[in-house]
This record gives sequence, C-alpha cells and structure tokens, in this order.
Amino acid sequence: MPTLQFSSVSEFLTMGGSYTFHIWSVYLLFAIFISYNLMQPKLVRRQFIREQKRRALRDAELSLQQSKQSERPTS
Amino acid sequence: MWLWFSKLGSPRWFYELSSKWLPWLYALMFVMLGVGLVWALLFVPADYQQGQTIRIMYVHVPVASISLACFPLMAIAGTITLVWKMKLADMVAKSVAPIGAWFTGLALASGAIWGDQIWGTWWAWDARLTSLLIQFFLFVGVIALRSAIESPDAAAKACAVLAIVGAINVPIIKYSVEWWNTLHQPASSISFDAVAPNPPEIWVPLVIMILAVYVFFAISLILRTRNEILQRERRAQWVMDLVARDQQK
Repeated sequence: MPTLQFSSVSEFLTMGGSYTFHIWSVYLLFAIFISYNLMQPKLVRRQFIREQKRRALRDAELSLQQSKQSERPTS
Repeated sequence: MWLWFSKLGSPRWFYELSSKWLPWLYALMFVMLGVGLVWALLFVPADYQQGQTIRIMYVHVPVASISLACFPLMAIAGTITLVWKMKLADMVAKSVAPIGAWFTGLALASGAIWGDQIWGTWWAWDARLTSLLIQFFLFVGVIALRSAIESPDAAAKACAVLAIVGAINVPIIKYSVEWWNTLHQPASSISFDAVAPNPPEIWVPLVIMILAVYVFFAISLILRTRNEILQRERRAQWVMDLVARDQQK
C-alpha cells in the first residue's frame, strides 16, 4: 500500500524544503496548461454563437425591410 | 467498413457523436487526474537520487510522450486529407497543431525545470532536447503556414505536406536517447526483469497520469474540432438550428 510521504501540511507545501520552487512551478504550469486548453475552446464557441445570432437577427431584419418595400405600390 | 468510414468523415455526424462522448470523457479525466495528482504529489516515495523532484516526472513524462503522438496524428490526418479529401481530417489536422505546440512547450519547460535540478543546467544542446525544440518550431510553423495561405483548400494541402515531411522528426526524438550519447536519460519506466526493476509505487501512478493526460488530449482535440466544424459549416441548416436553439444570449 502506498504511504503518505509528508508528516505535516507545511512539509508538503515546501516539498521537504529543497527544490520547492522547481516542483511547484511544474505543477503550476500543468494547471495553466490544462485549464487554458479546456477554457479556450469554450470561449471560441461562445463567441461563434454570439456572432451567428447577431447575423441571423440582421438577416431577418433585412428580409423584413425588403418584404415591406416590395409590398409598397411602385407606381 | 466503408460506410462507417464515410460516416465518420461527415462533420455533422462527428459533432453529434462527440456530444454524447464528452460528458463521459470529462468524468474519466477528472477522476484519473484527481487520483494521479494526489498519488504523485503525496504518496510516491522520494527517489534516492532525485529526492522529491521525482514528482516532476508525473507531469513531464505524460506530456512529453503525448507530444510525440500529436505529430503522427497530424501526419495521418494530412494523408487522409490529401488522398481522400475528407473534410473532417483537415479539421482534426488544424485542431491538433496548437495542442501539439502546447504539449511540446510544456514538455520543454518542465524538462528544463527538472534539468536545472538533476543536471545543474536548464538547457543543453543535447540530441533529445534539440529535436524536441525542432518539433515545437514545426508546430508553430504549421500554424503560421495555415494562417498565411488565404485559400482554405490550398492551406490544407500545404499543411498536410508539412505535417507528413515533419513527421520524420518523431522517430529522431524517440530514439535520440539511444542513437546518441545524450544528457537526457533513456526511458526506464516499466521494466519487470531488469537488474533494478522499478517498483509499482513508482510506475502505477505514472500510468494513471499518462492515461489521464491522454483523455485530456482527446477532450481538447474534440473541443477544438467541434469549433472548427461549426465555423466551416456555419451556413448549413443544422448549425443554424443549433445556434437558434442555444440559450446563450
């Protein structure tokens, strides 16, 4: 069975005292890497849907105007 | 088989299928990442040479090994694009390039941080490190090439060719530690019959982390490919319906 390697929280946070910075900076980079690559596509998708909704709205308004114009008697 | 192949090539079919897969993949990834990280950070015994910095291995090795899978995947997708002109393959090829650049970048960064401790230097012009740096530049090159060519079809072809040619670098990276005398150590993770076999306390969490990062890779690739599908099929009725159904304002 694996056993816990640290006897206290502070020992864990400093990773036993030496190379604290090395170990935690790698895990920090890993966290940034994971969260960026999961969040970025979600933001792109949100942006896409916003743009497409705006476009659909504009197209609908445009076709409404056109149909009004064609209803008007021309002569 | 051919029916399945042509169905898989349909972006809409992929989009709908991946909608069903994603929740399961997310659940799998969070469970495995949770177990893997807790195990790697709290339970792996300190190495007699490296001490606590052995914990860096549980990020570096999965990321570096999967970064090597990205390029062949891009080359295969490029081949399918060139031979069968399958639209989905090019979408995958386009999506995998930035992910590959991220994986390679993190492999280099975590390796440099680790190297500073075990070798006493952040960087050396060693065969493994240099060939991995070349892979990073190749990914950046593929991304730049695609954005530089205006016509999507021409860009797809050019990127496919660069991906296929660039894939030659992958075996060089993989075997660099055996072909040349490198500072970087050869892979030594799972050996049962060697003189000094690695105990399961070391490699079981590593395997869990590798699988977790693979699932993460799959998720991020699927997410980016889905965006690419939406973007390219935005005038198709099914995408317009999807946008109209979306609750987001």
